[in-house]
Amino acid sequence: MAWVRRRLNRVELRLDRREREILLRVVDELRPGLGDDPRTRLRAYDDPNLDEEYQRYSRPEVEHVRAADIDAVRAALSGSDDRFRLSEEEALTWVRALNHLRLVAGARLGIDDDGWEERSDASMLEREEYAMLVTLGWVQENVVAALGS
Amino acid sequence: MPTEAPTRREAPAGRETVRHDVPWNVVVWNDPITLMSYVVLVFRRLFGYDETTATKLMLQVHNEGKAIVASQPREQAEVTVTRLHAFGLQATLARG
Repeated sequence: MAWVRRRLNRVELRLDRREREILLRVVDELRPGLGDDPRTRLRAYDDPNLDEEYQRYSRPEVEHVRAADIDAVRAALSGSDDRFRLSEEEALTWVRALNHLRLVAGARLGIDDDGWEERSDASMLEREEYAMLVTLGWVQENVVAALGS
Repeated sequence: MPTEAPTRREAPAGRETVRHDVPWNVVVWNDPITLMSYVVLVFRRLFGYDETTATKLMLQVHNEGKAIVASQPREQAEVTVTRLHAFGLQATLARG
């Protein structure tokens, strides 16, 4: 059973083999969606010319960070350890990666407004991406809480 | 000492006058997926805001759709937006 806790200057995260396998599958399923949807392609300027320049010069840097974050989490999940002792920087990498993946899941579900949790009907609850969104959210919420404690 | 009042020089036609001293606003926009607690964490880590300030800004983003989280010279503001994007937050910059 998964748990997250703060221990001195580290964030400890425990995920058993089955949980790691599930998360690995989620990572591999969602990762290709990064950048596909406008919600995961972030604009910086209202002015299209300025934004085009930003996308040309700064977007590769953002995408590099995203890819590195997800690679790091994927590598950790691929190991055989149940317990991860994350430094602050590593824990930040985890929460960033989980957020990137949640944005992809949310985009695939077509979520555009707040309150989607309350409005979700049976057809959404049955979607695989919904389970991914909730699972990633649980891990992210707990690592964020541990970082803030 | 000047003996005449300084005259105002017009900028050459077709050339925009760029004010380097005017700060640009870094605006964070609401999105329905990102966790509120994560937004607070990002504001604290990137800007050094205390919990109260970071939470107040997060709630402004959530309730009003957006909040100005920093005002900086343009180059710095663009770097800030890039860092916010790396965290996955919807952020833009606009002339202040």
